Amino acid sequence: MDSYKLTEDEKDVLQELMNVAYGNATAVVADMLDAFASLSIPKINIMSVGELLATFSELKSTSYFFSTQAFSGEFSGESAFFINAESAKNLAKHLELESDEDLDDAILELTNVLTSSLTTKLSEEMDTEVSFSLPSISKIPLEEINDVATFQQYSQVIVIDTDLNFEDQQINGKIFILTKDDSIQWLKTKLNTILELLM
Amino acid sequence: MAQNETKHYLRTIDVDKKIVANIDNGIIILDTNLTIYHYNRWLELHTKIKERDILERTLDTLFPTIKKKTLIRKIKTALRLKTPTFYTASTSKYLIPIQLNQIKNAGFHYMQQDVSIIPFDETKELVALILTDQTNMIQTNSLLEANIKKVQELNAALLKERKTIDEKVLFIKINNSALIVDVSEALLNLLRFEKEDLLLLNFFIYEQRHLNKDLKIKILEAMKELHVLEFEHKTLTQDGKIIWLKNSLVPEFNASGVHIGFIIFRENITASKNLVINHEKMLANSRSAAMGEMISMIAHQWRQPLSLINTIIATMKIKKELNTLDEETINRSFEKIHSTTKFLSDTIDDFRAYFKPNKCTSTFSLLTLFDKSIFFLKDEMTQNDIKYTTEIASDIEITTYKNELLQSIINIIKNSIDAFGENHINIEQRYIHVSVCSFKMHIAIKIEDNAGGIDSQTLSHVFEPYFSTKNKNGTGLGLYMCKAIITEHLKGDINMKSEGHTTSTLIELPYKIQ
Repeated sequence: MDSYKLTEDEKDVLQELMNVAYGNATAVVADMLDAFASLSIPKINIMSVGELLATFSELKSTSYFFSTQAFSGEFSGESAFFINAESAKNLAKHLELESDEDLDDAILELTNVLTSSLTTKLSEEMDTEVSFSLPSISKIPLEEINDVATFQQYSQVIVIDTDLNFEDQQINGKIFILTKDDSIQWLKTKLNTILELLM
Repeated sequence: MAQNETKHYLRTIDVDKKIVANIDNGIIILDTNLTIYHYNRWLELHTKIKERDILERTLDTLFPTIKKKTLIRKIKTALRLKTPTFYTASTSKYLIPIQLNQIKNAGFHYMQQDVSIIPFDETKELVALILTDQTNMIQTNSLLEANIKKVQELNAALLKERKTIDEKVLFIKINNSALIVDVSEALLNLLRFEKEDLLLLNFFIYEQRHLNKDLKIKILEAMKELHVLEFEHKTLTQDGKIIWLKNSLVPEFNASGVHIGFIIFRENITASKNLVINHEKMLANSRSAAMGEMISMIAHQWRQPLSLINTIIATMKIKKELNTLDEETINRSFEKIHSTTKFLSDTIDDFRAYFKPNKCTSTFSLLTLFDKSIFFLKDEMTQNDIKYTTEIASDIEITTYKNELLQSIINIIKNSIDAFGENHINIEQRYIHVSVCSFKMHIAIKIEDNAGGIDSQTLSHVFEPYFSTKNKNGTGLGLYMCKAIITEHLKGDINMKSEGHTTSTLIELPYKIQ
C-alpha cells in the first residue's frame, strides 16, 4: 500500500495543480449561480480511505447530501461532493428554488461543475483526457457513510475542502476525488514528470 | 484493391448523420437561446413533431414545461467548462414530455430521461442535448426501493420479535460440536451469567457436574439422530443457587434446510420441583409419625400380655415360696407364657406387615379390613370406654392398595379416639360407628363418632398440612396424608362433616383401581 502513497514533493505538485484547476472552477460557479460569489482558497489533503472515514466520524451534522460522478480515462475514479443540509438550504434560498427536486438538481449541477472543472483542468495539466458519466445523488445519514460502496473500492482520496461565499450566506462543501491504485500509479508518474521539468 | 475500396467507402459515407438518425436516443442541437438547429428522427417519432416544422423555433415554446432559466444555465455552463452538463432522470424525471403507452411501465405517464448537454460548436455557441430513455431503470429502482423498504420493515419487525423472544424465552443454542453459540437474555438473567462466560464453551463441560452419564449418552444420541429430546436436570446459577430445568433439545436448521446445531429450550421448574420435594419430605415426616403411632399402638397391645406374664411369674414365685408349686402349675404357666410371648411377637409381625406400603393391589373384604383395624385399636377404645360397631356386608370386596387404606382408616379412627380424650366433655354412650354402602361405580365408607364435633372454621382446614388441634403430640400430617393417599394413590375422595357432637368422615373408593 505504501507504494501508492504520495511523497511530500508529489503532494506539493498536486496541490499546485489543484489550485490552478480550482481557480478555473470559481468563475464558472459564479456564472452558474448568477451572482457574485467567491470561493475561498481550498484546503487540499490527500489521505487513505480509512483516514477519510475517520474524519467523517468527527463530523457532527446528521444529514448530508452526497453526490458522485464517475470519470474515466487514463486518470479514472470517482468524484464525490458533500454538502450538509444547512448549506443545501442556503443554496436553495439563493437560487430561489421551489421544490426539493430542483434542489437536488442544483446540487448535482454544482457537483458537476466543481468536480468536472477540477478534473478536466487537472487532466489537462497532466496532458490527458477524461470523460464523465452522469452524476447521481443520495441523501445519507452520517452513520451510514461507512456502508457507501463508493468508498470501499478506492484507496487514495484527494480531499478539497471549499467554501462558497455569498454576500449574505455561506455554503460549505467538500469535494473528494477518489482514485484507484492504478490511477494513483499513473498520477505519480505524471507528477514526477512535472517535478523533473520544474527542477 | 479491396482495401482501397473500403477506405474510399468510409470516406464517402456520413457516419454521424446515419447514426444520429437511427440511434435509440433523442438528439437536439440548440443555441443558448434554445433555438432548435437539429431534431433527430427518434424525437420525431416519439413526439410526433417533424424537424422541418420546428427549425428556428425555440425549445421552450415547443414544450412549455421546460424550465428555461435552468436549461440556459446548464447550456452556458457546458460551453464555458467545455465539459458536459446533465439532467438526471432520478431527480429531474424528464425534459421533453414523451407520453408512454406501455403496460410494463404503467407507473409513469412520461418517459423518464437522462439528458447530457455536450458542447457542440463553441464558436457558434451550440450544444447537443442527448436524451436517454431511463424509464425501465427508474421503474426498477423504485421497485427495488419499495422492496428494500419492505425488507427493512420486515427486518425491524423480526428484530423486535427476536428481542422479545430473547428477553422472555429461556434457550441456549449449541453448534454441531456442542459449543455454546447463543444464550438468551432471559436464561442469562436466571442463571446470573454474562454471555461472555458461556459463549464458545462446550455445553457438556459447562453442564458436566449437572448431567449424569446416562443423560449425557441420551443427549449425545439425540444429537446424533437429530431427535427431539426432553429431559429434566438441575443446574447451578453463578451465585450457587439450585435451579431445576425442563429441557427440550431441538435440532436447528438454517433457511436452506441445512442442519446447523441445536436449540435447547428450557423451562424453570424449580418451584414445582420444590413442591414435589416438600411433598416427599412431608411423606417421610408422616411415615416417621406413623412409626411413632405404631410403636405407641404396640405398647398398648403389649401392656396387657406383659402384665399377664408378670402375674404368672409372680404367682409362680409365691407358690414356690409357699411350696405349693406343682408340676402341673409350672407346665400350665409355661404354656401360658409361651402363648403370650407368641402373641407379642405376632403383634409386631402384624404391625410390620400392615405398615409396609403395598407395591401391588390386592382384593379383600372390607369387613376383615375393619376387624383388623380394630385389632390394633381395640385396647385404646376399651380404655376410653368407646363402643365400636360396624355395619358392613360380608360380601363387599374391593381391589386396591390394602395397607394404604388400612393406615388411612386407622388414622381416622385414631383421630376419633383422641377426640374423645381431648374434648373433655361428658358423653353418655361414646361410640364409633363404621358403615359401608355399595353403589354402582364405587363404595362409600362412613366413619362416625360422637366425640364432640368440630367447628366449621377448623373443619375447613383439617386436610391442610401441618394443621393440628392437638397440643403437642400432633404432627398435623395425619389427615393431610390420608387425603393424599386416598385421592392420589387410591383414586378416591375423602370429606369430613360435623353436626352437633357428631363428626363423620366419608371415604369414597372405586371397586377396582385401574
